[in-house]
Amino acid sequence: MSPGRLAVHPSHLIDQSRPVEFLFDGRTYKGFEGDTVASALWAAGVRMFSRSFKYHRPRAPFAMTGADTNCMVRAGDEPNVRACVKLVAPGLNVTPQNVWPSLNADLMSLSSLAARFMPAGFYYRTFMRPKFLWPWYERVLRNAAGLGYVTLETPSTYYDKEYGFAELLVIGGGPSGMSAALSAAGRGARVVLLEESPYLGGHLRHERQTVETATGERLPAYQLAARLSDRVFANRNISVELETNAFGIYEDLWIGAAKRDTRLLKIRAQSLILANGAFERPLVFENNDLPGVMLGSAAWRLLHLYATMPGRRAVVVSANDDGLRVAIDLHAAGIEVAAVVELRNDPDPTLAAALRARGIDVKVRSVVVKAHGRRRVERVTIGQMTDESPSLSGTVDVTPGTREVVKCDLVTVSIGWTPATGLLHQAGGQTAYDTTAAESRVTQLPERVRAAGRVSGTHDVTTAMAEGEMHGLDAAAELGLGDGASTELREKVASLKATQLIRNSSAVHVRGGKMAFVSFDEDVTVKDINDSVAEGYSSMELLKRYSTLSMGPSQGKYESTNTMALCSAANDEPIATTGSTTSRPPFHPVSLGVLAGRKMEPVKHTPMHDWHVEHGARMMNVGLWKRPEHYGDPAEEVLTTRRGVGLIDVSTLGKLQVIGSDVPELLEMLYINRWRKLAPGRVRYGVMCTDEGMISDDGIAANLGADRWYVTTTTGGADGVYENIEWNLQSGWTFDVHVANVTDHYAAMNLTGPRAVDILREVTDIDLRGDALPYMSVREGHVAQVPARVMRIGFTGELGLEIHVAAGYGLHVWETLMDAGRAHGIIAFGVEAQRIMRLETGHFIVGQDTDALTDPYMANLERAVRTDKPDFLGRPSLVHIEQRGIRSKLVGYRMLDAHVVPPEGSQIVVPDSTRPIGLEIIGRITSARYSPTLDASIGLCWLPADGCEPGAEFTARVRGDLLPGRVVSLPHYDPKAG
Amino acid sequence: MSFTLLKRGLRPNRPPAPMWREHPLQDHYDVVIIGGGAHGLATAYYLATVHGITDVAVLEKRYIGSGASGRNTAILRSNYLTPEGILFYDESIKLYENLASELDFNVMFSQRGHLTLAHTDSSMRTMQWRAEVNQIQNVDSRVISPAEVKKLVPFIDTSDRPRYPIMGALYHPPGGVIRHDAVVWGYARAADAKGVHIHQQTEVTGIDVEHNRVVAVQTNRGRIATGTVLNATAGWCSLIAAMAGVRLPVETRPLQACVTEPLKPFLDTVIVSGTFHFYLSQSDRGELVMGASVNPFASYSTDATLDFAEALAGHVLELFPSLAKVRLLRHWAGLCDMTPDFSPIMGTTPVDGFLVDVGWGTYGFKAAPVSGKRMAELIATNRTPELIAPFAYDRFFTGQIVGEKGAAAVTN
Repeated sequence: MSPGRLAVHPSHLIDQSRPVEFLFDGRTYKGFEGDTVASALWAAGVRMFSRSFKYHRPRAPFAMTGADTNCMVRAGDEPNVRACVKLVAPGLNVTPQNVWPSLNADLMSLSSLAARFMPAGFYYRTFMRPKFLWPWYERVLRNAAGLGYVTLETPSTYYDKEYGFAELLVIGGGPSGMSAALSAAGRGARVVLLEESPYLGGHLRHERQTVETATGERLPAYQLAARLSDRVFANRNISVELETNAFGIYEDLWIGAAKRDTRLLKIRAQSLILANGAFERPLVFENNDLPGVMLGSAAWRLLHLYATMPGRRAVVVSANDDGLRVAIDLHAAGIEVAAVVELRNDPDPTLAAALRARGIDVKVRSVVVKAHGRRRVERVTIGQMTDESPSLSGTVDVTPGTREVVKCDLVTVSIGWTPATGLLHQAGGQTAYDTTAAESRVTQLPERVRAAGRVSGTHDVTTAMAEGEMHGLDAAAELGLGDGASTELREKVASLKATQLIRNSSAVHVRGGKMAFVSFDEDVTVKDINDSVAEGYSSMELLKRYSTLSMGPSQGKYESTNTMALCSAANDEPIATTGSTTSRPPFHPVSLGVLAGRKMEPVKHTPMHDWHVEHGARMMNVGLWKRPEHYGDPAEEVLTTRRGVGLIDVSTLGKLQVIGSDVPELLEMLYINRWRKLAPGRVRYGVMCTDEGMISDDGIAANLGADRWYVTTTTGGADGVYENIEWNLQSGWTFDVHVANVTDHYAAMNLTGPRAVDILREVTDIDLRGDALPYMSVREGHVAQVPARVMRIGFTGELGLEIHVAAGYGLHVWETLMDAGRAHGIIAFGVEAQRIMRLETGHFIVGQDTDALTDPYMANLERAVRTDKPDFLGRPSLVHIEQRGIRSKLVGYRMLDAHVVPPEGSQIVVPDSTRPIGLEIIGRITSARYSPTLDASIGLCWLPADGCEPGAEFTARVRGDLLPGRVVSLPHYDPKAG
Repeated sequence: MSFTLLKRGLRPNRPPAPMWREHPLQDHYDVVIIGGGAHGLATAYYLATVHGITDVAVLEKRYIGSGASGRNTAILRSNYLTPEGILFYDESIKLYENLASELDFNVMFSQRGHLTLAHTDSSMRTMQWRAEVNQIQNVDSRVISPAEVKKLVPFIDTSDRPRYPIMGALYHPPGGVIRHDAVVWGYARAADAKGVHIHQQTEVTGIDVEHNRVVAVQTNRGRIATGTVLNATAGWCSLIAAMAGVRLPVETRPLQACVTEPLKPFLDTVIVSGTFHFYLSQSDRGELVMGASVNPFASYSTDATLDFAEALAGHVLELFPSLAKVRLLRHWAGLCDMTPDFSPIMGTTPVDGFLVDVGWGTYGFKAAPVSGKRMAELIATNRTPELIAPFAYDRFFTGQIVGEKGAAAVTN
């Protein structure tokens, strides 16, 4: 046996033969395998772990469940780690949080001296004057708040996600959860059991009381835990996930759980049994947060899981049998029990007798009034409750003459349990506060959801197991397995539940003192609650938002009942009327890394991607795609293409294969243009609009003959256009068409320039002689010996041949064309050169030159809009716009200074002395480039429809300077003319 | 230290003064405002203070601030895209700047700057456009380089490691965050002090219209006769309007948001990334407050979804890789009333005496003071102020839609 540790016992989780050394606050400590940071430090005598949020008070383990925040530390590079569940590991570097300059000499703790001037929400009442000091005040506030810190050194880690399916999902591996899993699995159900601890058994594992099994056998609790646990692990229908926190129950029983903080489990459950227990309830009294004051179950956990002495001399506060058992177990471990302070006046006679037999004094109708001590509890004041004091709920007073001070280094509190209903509420269940039971009881559960054990108000072990069994059988029956629980079992559960002993006192607050905490997370006191309610924050939700109750990292798990009770008392209404705040996921905080999982940011490469990279392309992001921006010198790419020939990869264009007898009808509806008369072999440019009549996409459609059409969209528009067509086809349009998004199935490239035909002719069987392939037409045949579609279309003003081949042939065709073109001086060009050339030609780009308020009339497409068609997307709005006329227009311009290229987005202005800087906006520049072909600064801009004729001059605000430009007619450059 | 706190500290046993009072529901009010959020309470406040109209009831179905006012991520900015939008929001920011001293309640408006990141050349273009328009309206806003972003936000990854590297950002120094609940409470207290009746837990069940004129509002606590009703609700605005027989072109969508556990301050500015679909700020409590786009479907559900949390976490870590071990603490949803042009609907309706201040999408909180002030002016003077004229209800019938949609991918 090690110093500070108890003799080895089967219920222990630690292996005392395997020491583990770790660091805390710069010093080396020894623990054992299986120890948590908190248990190892407590055994080593450490009594202060961190400082609290508001007053920087010393804090140490309080619940030992991982659900409270009193022992949050930094472990390695991870902030806000719950030391009470974090397992020790060799070399683990643990440091205290929220301390400055050090844990022992924290300057911010002085703030508690000014606590009387810092009531709840004090910051709303001050720091307002003088106004210019607020940023400074705020900096001070911000530095005082917060808990852990993050550093840039924390590495980005990836985690995997796991998807699961459960016929029955059981959350909680205590007696009721295990019974439920076993009974359902016995009927053949495939069960998944999630348990947050590294072991099964729940509270049985740390209790030594004798319990009775369903068959009437009596054995110690921890042995029953082991027996049930063995059966669960042996059952092949049950898969157990330990150290797994179910944090969220989403729609249709979609459950999120975090396993060992490193893996996200996502489980779709057919049926759910919640057996996730209860939280022990704190007593509210002066200095109830001093290290050494802890829940009775925390003392049990230290003793019976970690072989650690919680203290040397204890005062046990009790309002149920758990408290009396804690006293017995502490004594059995060799701890002196200075007093049992019993709130009831009729404690269980058998247990009371057992205590007396050990020489322990049970003070009935007594309570602890105040804990004393600087950094840990050293003494407590206890006293007899007045006759007027309620015994098990509300605010109690102590008869003045009965106060006495007792020396101790440990105060345990066992006054009741709060069902952990957070997940139950997330699942859609409802609860109502039951005054007799002094807890919230389930009133309604959605289909396929059941609750067993403490979460459903069943505190007795035998009853909880019977209830679990019943629900397990019923869940199996719902899955078609067996007939469900027998009437006998059902009646047994009902009668056991009805007769079980009440183990709860409602929130008990001992009057007096200022530092009586309801929330340890946020340092909210009873006085804060009373003041907030008096100020008008009287409902639970307003109280929460104002006082920050339940907004801390434990989300109110240990303060919810006390808050409800004190809020209702302050409002002078029953607790049931007060209600609670809404429970939302996550039930346990879950790290961003676990939620994010592996990086899932897809990248799309065209079939020619590697070629581009090898040839020095600078790649750019275009949606999911990577495209070559240029291969070194975009101006040279422009000039070479215009003089001879260039090749650009346009595989990223959206591509739709549309087949059926009604394709022209579909296109008539989709586009503003006419389609019915487009002959086979012909191609037409089309523009699509939204319902509001605003341009949404453009592209071409090619009639391949025999009801086969090939449609292209912009690179960014592919998915949207496809979805829009599908949406309409599924919700109203009844055309005989089939649409497939084949964007990724075809590679496409555009051979551009005066010599394009000369090159293609060498590698194709398609007839290119004379007028065999006129402008805006399509042919199918072979290019580089593979099947290909060739369209003669142009975006650059030059002769353009767009070649589409199956994606797998893309690189082959590309290389063949580059080889064939070598003799003609071919060059590969990128997006930038294409943008310059299209601008020289005066083509607009949807989304760059147009925005969500651009209609086709404004973009010089009035001839394309066929409002004489009976219907198409946007027609009603376009009819209206046609009548109303337009206010602004997209036009071409040249800057008078050929070497000033305005940033795209620059505004066109006129002087107006009434405006803030003397300028009024009348237009803006949407595309601007230096044209190497023209040696000019050209672009497209929006101007008022009146006065934007070619030759009109305007003023643009370019990087703060006002510079002149002139409207010019489009195109800026016409190769045929030039 | 404020005098109030000093007084309270020295007289610990005296309960503090109530912020607002409860009143019996009168059977008549001059003005009935439906919705006890920032917009409704601000309107009541300006009606009472600026126009001396105090016979006003604010009806709230649950508790004040329980809707969108208490669920948004409290980001304020005025760097909008259209001159109408900028003028409007700029007045709002100016009102917010003086709100704490005007209401004697610290709403903690923290102007620590607002960054809209650009990850593509097209968003760089939009940022430039916004910056130019802002500068001409004298709103402090400019495009900055990745190096300047890194200087403002040391935790952000400006390398080319992210899938979409940061190419630049629109920097708006006066933008920031505010304590949203405090705005609600501050307006409520000030309105209450002027005689406005705030009725919580009071649900409107019907609106009586006679001869195309509002005559009364029906509630779960009784009937209120009135000639003027303002619908200042969010989430259910189209249902309330339907009670008066007014159809609104509104689709309601949930918008989710979440916060992490509190951390020591490391992030001063508000970060918005349209490409990665998230926005992020650090509250004075130290929590990271995060949000993303509205849900892709219409619904009245305020349930959180797991895929939202997963996607958001992934996107945040793409730019802030060292936050992998920070834990998500709370996650909720609010309801956003989306209009076809991503702009609100403010002013009169075809039913006399029935006014609306609705359709606020994801940007309502930013506009609460200016909306309240101008709606109060409209109610008091019966004339539509110029500032809100572009947002009139009839624009949907005349085709005069407003242009903020162009920049509305992630609008915070």
